[in-house]
Amino acid sequence: MAMTAGTTTTFPMSNHTRERVTVAKLTLENFYSNLILQHEERETRQKKLEVAMEEEGLADEEKKLRRSQHARKETEFLRLKRTRLGLDDFESLKVIGRGAFGEVRLVQKKDTGHIYAMKILRKSDMLEKEQVAHIRAERDILVEADGAWVVKMFYSFQDKRNLYLIMEFLPGGDMMTLLMKKDTLTEEETQFYISETVLAIDAIHQLGFIHRDIKPDNLLLDAKGHVKLSDFGLCTGLKKAHRTEFYRNLTHNPPSDFSFQNMNSKRKAETWKKNRRQLAYSTVGTPDYIAPEVFMQTGYNKLCDWWSLGVIMYEMLIGYPPFCSETPQETYRKVMNWKETLVFPPEVPISEKAKDLILRFCIDSENRIGNSGVEEIKGHPFFEGVDWEHIRERPAAIPIEIKSIDDTSNFDDFPESDILQPVPNTTEPDYKSKDWVFLNYTYKRFEGLTQRGSIPTYMKAGKL
Amino acid sequence: MDWLMGKSKAKPNGKKPAAEERKAYLEPEHTKARITDFQFKELVVLPREIDLNEWLASNTTTFFHHINLQYSTISEFCTGETCQTMAVCNTQYYWYDERGKKVKCTAPQYVDFVMSSVQKLVTDEDVFPTKYGREFPSSFESLVRKICRHLFHVLAHIYWAHFKETLALELHGHLNTLYVHFILFAREFNLLDPKETAIMDDLTEVLCSGAGGVHSGGSGDGAGSGGPGAQNHVKER
Repeated sequence: MAMTAGTTTTFPMSNHTRERVTVAKLTLENFYSNLILQHEERETRQKKLEVAMEEEGLADEEKKLRRSQHARKETEFLRLKRTRLGLDDFESLKVIGRGAFGEVRLVQKKDTGHIYAMKILRKSDMLEKEQVAHIRAERDILVEADGAWVVKMFYSFQDKRNLYLIMEFLPGGDMMTLLMKKDTLTEEETQFYISETVLAIDAIHQLGFIHRDIKPDNLLLDAKGHVKLSDFGLCTGLKKAHRTEFYRNLTHNPPSDFSFQNMNSKRKAETWKKNRRQLAYSTVGTPDYIAPEVFMQTGYNKLCDWWSLGVIMYEMLIGYPPFCSETPQETYRKVMNWKETLVFPPEVPISEKAKDLILRFCIDSENRIGNSGVEEIKGHPFFEGVDWEHIRERPAAIPIEIKSIDDTSNFDDFPESDILQPVPNTTEPDYKSKDWVFLNYTYKRFEGLTQRGSIPTYMKAGKL
Repeated sequence: MDWLMGKSKAKPNGKKPAAEERKAYLEPEHTKARITDFQFKELVVLPREIDLNEWLASNTTTFFHHINLQYSTISEFCTGETCQTMAVCNTQYYWYDERGKKVKCTAPQYVDFVMSSVQKLVTDEDVFPTKYGREFPSSFESLVRKICRHLFHVLAHIYWAHFKETLALELHGHLNTLYVHFILFAREFNLLDPKETAIMDDLTEVLCSGAGGVHSGGSGDGAGSGGPGAQNHVKER
């Protein structure tokens, strides 16, 4: 033994060993915590099956068949969990979205044929901006949120350069694209989308999360036209104009873009629409949808999400968000002076109920609707006639027209990018030393196995 | 020769410390250390109607990764000089290459052979299939047994030769948890020959007795027949 007995206070070890120790501790502790959880979840699924079969009054033969089917799925899930998923397991079909720090692609899992949306984020952007906590936040929300209102995340994995989230594909596109096509929505349509988004936001608030980046591009539409939230935390606060320091030397003086302000609402809407797509890609962004208290020293809470919803509602009805400007600085000034700048153009028809709700959303947080609970919002006259319990089961306000499960006609076209191209090692920064920061990012969801796409012919033949 | 490992009574290298000093891992304060209090007996049982091979594959792959990880924390201290043979107590393990030839090697070399060969197997799509619909080979269970035997040797060597370092690194709770989980899993599916694991029975007795009630009562040295619960299970196929 090279080691001398006794003393552990000055135990010499290399940096490599120190790192290995950190990884071992994190990995094993996470593993055993998750192992117990998975055991309990598996038992819960089994019990739910038994209860459901009892309630359906199934015959014993049918029950036996259902148990076998369930067990086959559990077996498949076990295999999936020990599979090291990587890019090679997926076929990239099309780019369907692009953001400031990555993009979203329609992909197909090669061995099963299932269709997914793959969200790709560059590690370098995350690490350089110390956004590790946000990375954890999005993954954790998507893991915990098992309801109807959040985009499902089935798997996550990483390689040296990128983080990957495999999500359910929602062929209806996003609200931004819908608004660009339609310019404005009717009050009935707006009522539908705002109602569903109220329920979606409340669902994540109940999980203890604040979204903080509610905007039309983060509201997705499923195959039947219902709303689902996406983009939690991963890029929150990452865009420069979403952070307080961007405005450090700016006063709160009233805005001074008089020529823009004096445009009629139609011209404003056209300008907004023309710049909208580019704005979504920008790493600078704009604070159009961000509540004023987010920029103040006083801090903020989950009510900031209701402000954002009020801004979206205004945009749906008027054609542009209330504080839009030609620069983020001007928008910031308008947001901070909302008492003077939140106005309704006289030439655009809008009901008193809609106006009142917007003004109840876009007010200081102490007086904001929802402060006493989501029921306060649901009780507002604008939502008269909304069936809050069954809105998701009823037809959506605007039906989605798609021809196949991988139809991307509700998305814009994007040119191919180099995000997945290999890069020569000599020019690539070495993030290996920080890979443990992304430890336990990998995740696989049981319901991932139920996402059905077209099965390749050879697999169908094999099954027969 | 079959895969059966012959125990060699070769003399240990250099001076041999007293047995009491070498088995620090048996101290009560150390055997109490865990990272979870869950009953592993429940966790290792084959879930209802799940495919046995898939359950074996899933668990074996995980044990490989974790034992490899645990060893990596002390690999700096496991050198050709400090561990001239793969020793556990008075036993030395030899590596047998693919042609059955006995290879004398140091502990780090032995561990490297183990990890390389297991890595090769668990990433072999024909042995541990990952694609939807692929079947396991008929020899799968015997391959799992071989893997478990080699992984056991690595765990035993960590305890025997590097527990002091593991303690200093505050990884003894992790090691104990991993060991208990591994042993209970191997027992459940009869993956380790009790004669093969007898060398660590003193530790196993202490660690596993409080971790699932495998031993309802003290059975003393079970070197000959193994623990009373070791083979008392029915495998579902």
